[in-house]
Amino acid sequence: MNEEYTRLDRMRYTKNTSSSRLAILAIVFDVLFFISLYKSDVGNYYYTILIGASIIYNLVFLLATFLASEGVKGYQRNYTWLLLALACGQIVRIFIYPVQGHAAKVSGAAVIGDGQFIFMIICLAASAVCLVGAALINWRKSKALSDHIASLEAGNA
Amino acid sequence: MAELKLQHLDKIYDNKVQAVYDFNLDVKDGELIVLVGPSGCGKSTTLRMVAGLEDISNGHLLLDGKDITQAPAKDRDMAMVFQNYALYGHMTIYENMAFSLTLRKEDPNVIHKKVLAAAEILDLTAQLNKKPNQLSGGQRQRVAMGRAIVRNPKVFLFDEPLSNLDAKLRSATRREILLLHKRLQATILYVTHDQTEALTLADRIVCMSMGHVQQIGTPLELYDRPNNTFVATFIGLPPMNMFDTVFEDGVLKGKGFSAELTPEQQSLLAPYARKKIILGVRPEDIAEGGSLEIRVGNNENLGMNTLVHGTVGEGIHITAKLRGWSDNKVGDLVPVHFNRMHFFDPETTNAIRKEAE
Repeated sequence: MNEEYTRLDRMRYTKNTSSSRLAILAIVFDVLFFISLYKSDVGNYYYTILIGASIIYNLVFLLATFLASEGVKGYQRNYTWLLLALACGQIVRIFIYPVQGHAAKVSGAAVIGDGQFIFMIICLAASAVCLVGAALINWRKSKALSDHIASLEAGNA
Repeated sequence: MAELKLQHLDKIYDNKVQAVYDFNLDVKDGELIVLVGPSGCGKSTTLRMVAGLEDISNGHLLLDGKDITQAPAKDRDMAMVFQNYALYGHMTIYENMAFSLTLRKEDPNVIHKKVLAAAEILDLTAQLNKKPNQLSGGQRQRVAMGRAIVRNPKVFLFDEPLSNLDAKLRSATRREILLLHKRLQATILYVTHDQTEALTLADRIVCMSMGHVQQIGTPLELYDRPNNTFVATFIGLPPMNMFDTVFEDGVLKGKGFSAELTPEQQSLLAPYARKKIILGVRPEDIAEGGSLEIRVGNNENLGMNTLVHGTVGEGIHITAKLRGWSDNKVGDLVPVHFNRMHFFDPETTNAIRKEAE
């Protein structure tokens, strides 16, 4: 067994922990984002249907990302698409609350200050980067594994 | 090379209870030694002292000439297989087998090769992605052995590894351990209370009782020439029949029966004239036909043989293993003779045999 073969063969018995851990890290960044968002209490600015939707999306995001983190552990290629979709969602979110809240003024002051604004953008962007990273690694590894298994089944072991 | 020397090992607990007394043993490279004895005889304690899980109160432990008496368990280069498997339920079989090497931060490719090689030996390749709860007891025990094999230790220590398995699986796994030993040529210390395991597996057996070594020898030596009444009754199934007798007029006289002796046996027992002697006869050394009569208590037909439980003389219990299928009824008298007899001194319980033996 050469080193490259062994590295590929190892994947038959080990989990794709790098993708899984990146997905979990994306959840952590998302949690930091929504803690920052929900701790703001500026009059009744947030009492809109948008904040309700944001809360529901957060729950869906947490569940879906966790599901994907478990799925990629087993090198399931379809979860790549879910991770990429969730990454896109995180990018889109940047233009909803952080941007809108930063632009909005209540009693002459910004609803989301500069520091909080930058922090929230970093969190969402970092979350998206982690998800894209997890997706790409999973795509590459799952393809390598399926090629390796096909090669084994063809009797090239 | 892995030669193990246990020199004058004692185990004395803090409460002054002594579990092992002056244990001496030289284990040769590639030898399979079985420590056998009843519960509480000190065999597991001895194994744990060798593994480094118990402190050694007195004595020395040498591995390949190096004194490892005070060495911590992790530095002894020994792998232990436990009765309860001790597998991690949340890990796959592959991860369980790789775990100790992962902790040592070995190269993952090297770990992979070692795990696959061990799985191949133990026929576990198809199970590597399963969790322990998806395997049978025998397979789990093989995983526990695999985890020991991947470490490539100098000495394997087995602590009653088959006790949790049912009879059929125990027999199959026993054969696998034997094949494994032949394949790996590893030095193995194996603890069991099951004398069948001891007789079938061991190169040499150490028979223990109450913390003392009673006899060390090959399975045949222990079966054929037991040192004392303990070994005689512990090794062999059904156990050896023991009769209190007196040596008089060239015969052994028991309560209501007597056993004829050959001239050699008479000369052997000459110093015991008119003294008490314990006569030992294995059930399989009793054959039909002769002057002794067994009053049948009950029969156990085993197919090729029949175990006859009954009495001789004045109600002395006896078990005989007679050839063939027997239809004896309760109370029937079966004439028998003894093919082979063992003699023991009732004071010391030691075997009476020629000095040359």
